[in-house]
Amino acid sequence: MTSKNEFQESPPKNKFQQQNETLHLKLQNIKTEKEIIGYIIRDAKSASVDIKDPTKIIDYALLASTLHDSGESIISAFELGKVNNIVVEGKDVKVLTLTIGDNRISIFMNKNVNHNTIYKDLHS
Amino acid sequence: MSEEVYVTALNNTLTEIKNISPDVKHSFIFTDDGTIVARDEDIENISLKKTMHFFQHLVEKADSIGGLKALAINGEKGKLYISRVNDMYLAVTTSANADVTYLQSIVNVIVPTILKLLKTVAPTPLKFMPSQQFVVDNITGLFAGDNAQIDQERLVEWSNLFDEKNVNEVEVESFRGKKTTCGVKKISDQKLQGKGLILLPEKTCRILEIKKGDFVKVKPRSS
Repeated sequence: MTSKNEFQESPPKNKFQQQNETLHLKLQNIKTEKEIIGYIIRDAKSASVDIKDPTKIIDYALLASTLHDSGESIISAFELGKVNNIVVEGKDVKVLTLTIGDNRISIFMNKNVNHNTIYKDLHS
Repeated sequence: MSEEVYVTALNNTLTEIKNISPDVKHSFIFTDDGTIVARDEDIENISLKKTMHFFQHLVEKADSIGGLKALAINGEKGKLYISRVNDMYLAVTTSANADVTYLQSIVNVIVPTILKLLKTVAPTPLKFMPSQQFVVDNITGLFAGDNAQIDQERLVEWSNLFDEKNVNEVEVESFRGKKTTCGVKKISDQKLQGKGLILLPEKTCRILEIKKGDFVKVKPRSS
């Protein structure tokens, strides 16, 4: 006997869920690029981390969180409006940070990557 | 070369950058410890203080990516760009439509060139004394004099930073940006020692438009 649930269609996804799924797919796709080190995406309820070097996860998570908070505070000090994106460059690595909907996203990459292309990809 | 000349040269550089690119709204140069070396006059102190606080916080966390070499924040109404220039940081805020790549190419040539030039003229690296925060108290009485009074311990610390030279003057700055310079000596009243106070004569308080209990920034000077 087949259970009733198997015949039930899953409830239609709302626009918000569809956007989130698309965003996760885009990030997974970006991550396949050789020069991309990984990404962190978090919303109010959950966080997803995909970093190639697992020993870096905690440090990168702390940096991503600080980058969001400090970036907003610094730009508000000069009344430059809402943050579109933040890019921080280290010796070899750079980080692109942005917010899409409720999702705070940080992408870690090698310095030679064009972060503008990634930014446009995520917003397309 | 004195610190004042060095600072004037950098301030002039910032003004010239602003003249070359009208998109530049504000600019300032600061050291690793958050000491502002040069700045344009329009920036409010509170904006600088806030930026320094959060930037220092960010620098601490940026060790994981090999330190912080550059930071770019793209806002709806404008952009902020901070880049490492020699052993300092240069910060520039621009309008939203500014061509940051063009601006960076100018800034990253002019400022290092000036710093290199200053280093050639003054081979001994200048020590920028970090300003420290104190709470104001008043000196009253007939023998108040014109000098500020600070803990002996602090004066000794500053003297060590100045290669054992005596610190006999301080620059006092209110948080509204008013500044004055006055003589300094140790706090004579034992009950007021070790409390992070700076005792100022009423005349100095009037110049700075401050009162007892206000915070001020104090920078030592040696003769």
